[in-house]
Amino acid sequence: MDLLFNVLDKTLTGPPMEKHEFELKLVPRVTREVLKEHGLERTFDPNNPINTDLSLAEDFYRAGYDFAIRVGMFCPDTGRRVIFTEEEIKQALRDAPREVVLGYGKDSVVIRSRKPEDGIPPVAEGSALGMAVSEEYFIPLCMTIAQYKVIDIILAPTLDRINGREIRARTPYETIMGMYEAKYVKEALRRVGRPGMPLHGVEGAPTEYAYISGFLPGGYDPERTIGIALIPEPIILSYQIMHRVVTNHLIGSPLEAGHMLNIGGYFGPPEGAVVGAVAAQILQTVSMFPTVVESTILDARFFSNTSREALWATSTSMQARTLGNHVMNLGITSQVSGPCTDMLLYETTTITIADSVSGVSIEIGTRPAACRYKDHGSGLENKFFAEVLKSSAKNLKLSDANEIVKAILPKYEGRLRDPPKGKSFIECTDLKTLQPTREWLEIYERVWRELEDLGLPRWE
Amino acid sequence: MLEEISEYLEKLRSTILSGDSDSAREIAKILKEKNVNPVDVVNNAIKPAMDEMGKKYENLEVFLPELVLAGEAAQEVLEVLLPKEMESSFIKGKVVIGTIYGDIHDIGKNIVAAILRANGYKVIDLGYDVPPRNFVETAKKEGAKIIGMSCLLTPSMFYMRDVITRLIDEGIRDKFYVIIGGAAVYPDWAREIGADGWAKDAERAVQLCDTLLEKGHELPKPVILGEWR
Repeated sequence: MDLLFNVLDKTLTGPPMEKHEFELKLVPRVTREVLKEHGLERTFDPNNPINTDLSLAEDFYRAGYDFAIRVGMFCPDTGRRVIFTEEEIKQALRDAPREVVLGYGKDSVVIRSRKPEDGIPPVAEGSALGMAVSEEYFIPLCMTIAQYKVIDIILAPTLDRINGREIRARTPYETIMGMYEAKYVKEALRRVGRPGMPLHGVEGAPTEYAYISGFLPGGYDPERTIGIALIPEPIILSYQIMHRVVTNHLIGSPLEAGHMLNIGGYFGPPEGAVVGAVAAQILQTVSMFPTVVESTILDARFFSNTSREALWATSTSMQARTLGNHVMNLGITSQVSGPCTDMLLYETTTITIADSVSGVSIEIGTRPAACRYKDHGSGLENKFFAEVLKSSAKNLKLSDANEIVKAILPKYEGRLRDPPKGKSFIECTDLKTLQPTREWLEIYERVWRELEDLGLPRWE
Repeated sequence: MLEEISEYLEKLRSTILSGDSDSAREIAKILKEKNVNPVDVVNNAIKPAMDEMGKKYENLEVFLPELVLAGEAAQEVLEVLLPKEMESSFIKGKVVIGTIYGDIHDIGKNIVAAILRANGYKVIDLGYDVPPRNFVETAKKEGAKIIGMSCLLTPSMFYMRDVITRLIDEGIRDKFYVIIGGAAVYPDWAREIGADGWAKDAERAVQLCDTLLEKGHELPKPVILGEWR
């Protein structure tokens, strides 16, 4: 706890600055500086969406490291920068865990630190991440995901209502929701015979109310659950997020520290996003002492990470982070097309391969239709995601991955702006058996045959 | 004299492009002292600068910080040059924008605000985690035509309905167009709460505002732009 006190003290004593000045001037300026100093300007290669040059990735790590030291983080609650010494950073990186065991009995899994082209597959986490799901379909949807043994961990979707009541942020309804989410997902796991499966939550918590209630006794078990401290923008260290960090450290639960980062946003071009992701991984490690760090680079034009630019930035930054230190990295697949479409499986293929061969330790499955539509997720795209994740780790080198992604990208990139909505959970799932409809299964089989033809063996 | 003013206008254009609000304000003061018609300033400096910035942003040649700073510089110039009562002649409309209560995500909202500014709107940005009351009070005070709300978290989206309910309760629902966007909200939600529009992305948010101001009273609501097929 002393280390956390040190971080919290810095939020009260660091140099004062306006958020506007930090985000709009300091961050872009230093990003440009480190890109120039390390010779990394205009290195984005649209013809090779999976980076295969590991020395380039190492250069990006050094640039991101420099950025982390020069800029630090910003606390919007106190209007102060939070700056770390190089010794503090080095110590936090040295102390970061290399491995963690989660879950009980036969359902337990080991998350390990990985490197690019690491043959040991990453851990596959199933979800309908960030998607609002009706109370009546919440448990069935979790069951359809968890029934597939290739999926190792589950992350619940967002409960839409409880007992017909709207769950409003910052009200006691929210506090109730934290506990209900945990109870419902555990009930789903019990029903599919995987009671010891590891968990990740509290997914639907907008604030600390649901977050803390979700970890009360009877809710998420601290020893089998990864907590979530996800900051909306990298390197912004808000108290709302630090409440979660402190909670997980107090109860001794593993923690995911994460951030979303937009190409075209404060860090600018794809190259700037890579620098931002590296810097944020380092800074979240030294400020939150997490078990895993998530960095999701989205293409702001589409709100996805399956565009050419996002795939390049994701693969390059994942390689940079996994080569530069041993921190365990969590990746997210974020698609714009909906279930029961081949485009969803194509998008899933490219981003999953990008992360898997670049060294991700744990990857979260699908966010169909960018989570815009209620009940628009299913089990089958999660099964497909987990199979591609594990097969590509075992069978592909970076150059193979690049060739497959180059073949798949043209099948969908022209549709990223206006993607197909696909079908809802009940439209593509037989609710009695929790199996996918014939139509959805045929699409899955066809896309897998295409991948086999391109050189990716099926995961058995 | 004319040549001198042309030079100032060109300098102002490049100053707006560089996002330097302080310098832009100083040049605007000089132009005002020289009695230059605000129409000439808008047509020869502000509009060309923001058009160029918008195109560069679309082509990923500049990014959110440059776009925001240029928009703020342009707004500074208008505030120096125009008395409050003349403002409406030089802008397309006023938009009160913010991320709804309980939600601290703001980059999507910032992108929309910046692109609206680049397209001639005056934007009053309330930031994030904004209580419903603040949207209504600010829109009334500023005489805005449009209230824009962003939401990325499901448990926050219900507060969007509170904004519309408050407008109805005060008997002023027809004075504002209420538009929504962000990852947690979808066209059916716009229909359910009685919003006037929903847009999938920032570019379409501008089209939505243009459409509502041009012919909003004729169109069935909500106007939906960019729904998934």
